[in-house]
Amino acid sequence: MFVFCLIKKGDSMIQVKNITKEFVSAKKYPGLKGAIKGLFSREKVRKTAVDDISFDIAEGEIVGYIGSNGAGKSTTIKMMTGILRPTKGQCIVNGIDPSKNRLDNAQNIGVVFGQRTQLWWDLPLSESFTILKEIYNVSDEEYEERMNFLNEVLGLPDFFDQSVRTLSLGQRMRADLGAALLHNPKVLYLDEPTIGLDLVVKDKIRQAIKDINQKYKTTVILTTHDIGDIEELCNRIIIIDEGRKIYDGGLQELKDTYGKTRKVTMELRQVKEAEKINWTEKLGTTEDKYQVTTDEEKNQLTITFEKNEIQISDIIATIMEVTEVKDIQIQETELAEIVKEIYNHQFQSEEIAE
Amino acid sequence: MKKFFKTYLPFTGNEIKRNLAYKGAFYLFVFCSLFGSFISYYLWKAIYGSTDGGAIGGLTQNQMVIYVFMTYVTSSIVKVSISEEVSEDVVKGTVAMNLIKPIDYRFSLIFKGIGSSVYRFLMPGIFVWIGVELYSCLVLHEPFTGIVNLVLYLCSAMFSFFIYVLFDFCFGMIAFFTTYIFGLQMVKSAVLSFLTGELIPLSFFPAVFQKVFDFLPFSSMVYTPVMIYLGKYSGSELMFVLARQVIWIVILYALGSLIWKKVTKRLVVLGG
Repeated sequence: MFVFCLIKKGDSMIQVKNITKEFVSAKKYPGLKGAIKGLFSREKVRKTAVDDISFDIAEGEIVGYIGSNGAGKSTTIKMMTGILRPTKGQCIVNGIDPSKNRLDNAQNIGVVFGQRTQLWWDLPLSESFTILKEIYNVSDEEYEERMNFLNEVLGLPDFFDQSVRTLSLGQRMRADLGAALLHNPKVLYLDEPTIGLDLVVKDKIRQAIKDINQKYKTTVILTTHDIGDIEELCNRIIIIDEGRKIYDGGLQELKDTYGKTRKVTMELRQVKEAEKINWTEKLGTTEDKYQVTTDEEKNQLTITFEKNEIQISDIIATIMEVTEVKDIQIQETELAEIVKEIYNHQFQSEEIAE
Repeated sequence: MKKFFKTYLPFTGNEIKRNLAYKGAFYLFVFCSLFGSFISYYLWKAIYGSTDGGAIGGLTQNQMVIYVFMTYVTSSIVKVSISEEVSEDVVKGTVAMNLIKPIDYRFSLIFKGIGSSVYRFLMPGIFVWIGVELYSCLVLHEPFTGIVNLVLYLCSAMFSFFIYVLFDFCFGMIAFFTTYIFGLQMVKSAVLSFLTGELIPLSFFPAVFQKVFDFLPFSSMVYTPVMIYLGKYSGSELMFVLARQVIWIVILYALGSLIWKKVTKRLVVLGG
């Protein structure tokens, strides 16, 4: 077992083993009467925010950590950064247990919480960078090199002398990302880094994350609600729901596994003719593999089918036998749809865990 | 050691800059607190005027004048409330941003406190101090305070600062359990103004109370340095009060570490 651990350590930057976090809070009762009752009651409510999650992340990976609001994403990140202590389980980041050795761990990580800032609110941005340079013990040459890089990818000089409170959200977020990267951390945690940003800034942030990952081999863990972030950045995603891990794997695999269906919408000259088609026979398949709906007013026919079973060319050929096709639209199931379905508990947990 | 100061001194520098950024609020604070000192000055003047002119509680009228204003100078540089910052960090959840950095939260707060303290010492502390000296010399015809007392006072005031700040850190930890400590802070400042000797010199209290005060850290916060300044201690007594300050620093430091350890175990970060 010991040998096993040693070998594993070389491979993965982050190891999370069965971590669980429970929050205990005093029970609250509704209304004024309840508030008074609460003063005397000692009833406690136990809530499990993160329930027995394990995963391994290798150096240089960009992992999307997604889940609905309150699924436990931020709590997991906080445990990995050493802010919170897990109730059970352990995580090892670059060989260090953050809950036991917060200070050493902090030297290796950079964190951006999209909702907060680590910059000095009342002072010019440049001051924050000078103080961070001292805190992380960054040498002058390193500082110079890093700032050149950050200025290039994040465009910091435009607002470097402004006080932080006067920055726009986009500027602040870029500055925060820069601040998190000043000491060249091995692991970068981004908790909703693109929240509330416009498309241009979002793009800039994404590009910067990519550049950093490529140049410094920084391991990035990203939580987000923006599907675009995931599609552009992540090669692997972990989905959690109600504190449990429900998916861990590649992005393409997720699409392949859960995006099995395709949708074709066709505008026809004679939709009535098409209604008479016996699809099961023509396509040589069973009835549960497809679904046909028609809209006579718009002369539209929509077929949703499993793309592994049925060829789209067969469908079109079948239609062409009876009537003329004026317009055609093919839709793949989008990642957003898949994720939405997962959040809505459309899939059974067991099925996904496979 | 060099790295330690290199890491934390920027907090001091930034705090001074931050104070400079909010000058208006600061002048108002100076005005209000000095106003209080003048009220007690006139109050004591009236009290001494109605007696036969002798010393009360071991202080003559002239010494009382110095006591009132030196208490102002001392408490303005000593009482840097870091518990306010702790409670704000807890309420807004910004404590998380401090914990992701490779720094000790308490030291960062203490060094910020030093920044405020230095700023207050320069503005207006030192001017009030010079004013007191000039007044006592030119108007009250008392001799200038000796250089030994001056150095001892500064030394003792520095200890006082650490006692207060370390105490206040422990106090601020309550915020982790109750979230808001505004009400408690009001209670704290009211009680402290009594127990530190800010309102009335501790020598005015009955002997029994004074015995109790000897076992509390509060008398070491303001009363001790001011009495040293007035030259009320000498020889072994002087050594004793200074040693007591050092002991309180050690005790409160250890207590703070203990509480912090407990707190981080059950820490909940609010909001997001």
